[in-house]
Amino acid sequence: MFTSAFRIIKFAWQDFFRNFWLSFVTLTILVLALFSINLLIIFNFVAKSAIVSVEDKININLYFKPAISEDQVFNVQRYLQGLSQVKDVQYISKEQALENFKTKHKDDPKILASLDEIAQNPLGASLVIKAKSTSDYPLILENLSDPQYNNLIESKDFDDHKLVINRISGITQKVSTGVIVIALIFTLISILIIFNAIRMALYTHKEEITAMKLVGATNWFVRAPFLLQGVIFGILSLLITILVLYPLMGFIQPYLSLLLENNFNLVSYFNQNFVVIFGLELLGAILMNLISSYWAISKYIRV
Amino acid sequence: MIYFKKVSKIFYPQTVALKDVNLHIRPKEFVSIVGQSGAGKSTLIKLLNAEESPDKGQITIGGWDITDINEKEVPLLRRQIGVVFQDFKLLPKKTVFENVAFALQVCGVSPRRISQIIPQVLKIVRMKDKADRYPHQLSGGEIQRAAIARALVHRPKILLADEPTGNLDSINAQDIIDLLLKINEFGTTVLLVTHNKDVVNRVKKRVVLLDEGQIVSDQEEGKYVL
Repeated sequence: MFTSAFRIIKFAWQDFFRNFWLSFVTLTILVLALFSINLLIIFNFVAKSAIVSVEDKININLYFKPAISEDQVFNVQRYLQGLSQVKDVQYISKEQALENFKTKHKDDPKILASLDEIAQNPLGASLVIKAKSTSDYPLILENLSDPQYNNLIESKDFDDHKLVINRISGITQKVSTGVIVIALIFTLISILIIFNAIRMALYTHKEEITAMKLVGATNWFVRAPFLLQGVIFGILSLLITILVLYPLMGFIQPYLSLLLENNFNLVSYFNQNFVVIFGLELLGAILMNLISSYWAISKYIRV
Repeated sequence: MIYFKKVSKIFYPQTVALKDVNLHIRPKEFVSIVGQSGAGKSTLIKLLNAEESPDKGQITIGGWDITDINEKEVPLLRRQIGVVFQDFKLLPKKTVFENVAFALQVCGVSPRRISQIIPQVLKIVRMKDKADRYPHQLSGGEIQRAAIARALVHRPKILLADEPTGNLDSINAQDIIDLLLKINEFGTTVLLVTHNKDVVNRVKKRVVLLDEGQIVSDQEEGKYVL
């Protein structure tokens, strides 16, 4: 038993190195298949981060009538904070609003002069609402249409963002669907590539498999080294993919960070999900190799 | 030792490879199976090696009925028979030593025993000094001698040689036949399938002539006569 196991391991390694170019080509195809899957994961992460980055900039400003008291504004704030769709509600007092206004128009003496002429704060308090998802904004506004809140509000700037929000919601949905479709296509292509690579590799061993069987080898004794080689191919291809992927991610990280302002970090994302991403890829690659090897050998082993 | 009782083999739809063949081969015999291409010679070998199974009749080897041998028993049968093929069937990425060793490794023989046996067998076939060569580094005659070493290494009682000289020149062919005769002298039953008239006539042993799947002549110390 031990001798057989040792021989199977030895044959697998021996065949791997003695058919170096065949092993190299098979390995390259597997690496390319795994690499394309990882590129898809990167694309998915970048697309989602880009959407989050844009979504972060969207909010609703509720401008209250100047006569409304702070307590009334706080009531609305508490109500909004109680809504499940709301992520955050920030209060901006009348004074803060005036201060912000002045800062914003510090280079416009006419506006500043008009303010001085009025001699009192014409601005009311406001609330800045951030929703958990862009699709939640219409629902939040619907809640605010209740007269007990609506009568306190002078204006809402949501309508200005409505188009953008709708578009982003649409893009988010399309990207999610698109990523699923591309992922399925990529996975299918990868499966076919791996399947074909292993089949081609084993096709070159056709005569050898026949010869082994004719000198009295059992099906298992013939099969096992090739199956083990499938596992070796799976492990090596994943290791090479990781070795290529990390420097590449390190290289593109600064450029992507410039484009996406939120705390975007591709390498950390892969580090945090290392076990899930590469564990599943390893499992998938090995399983594919085993299934395709087993199936391909079955064709030649019936001697 | 080997019995064929009314054995027929038909390759569908209607190619009759063997028809009602009765044949008895005694232990330690050297039998040449001759005939033209398509006479059924190779089919006879394939039936003995369980590459094919008969459609009718019964085949026994050493009392073992292999007519309906099951898949799991096939490797056990093949480990008791040595086969030499016209196209050699050596493993191209293994050295001569490794190729010969493979026949023992499939039987589970220990590495130490293997390293003891193989030099002796390679010496018999005069390939000891080429043990580390790969098949592509050998001549046709050397490849066939290596293949004979592989067929012999597990000391089979029967050696089947299917056109072993088919791809060789006359000098190498004679060399291989001499080797087979030597193996026969050691007590191994040899079945030589050939259509080489010179080889058969020089051997001067039993000759079974097949024609269209039937035995048309069976002579002790016969000659190749068509």
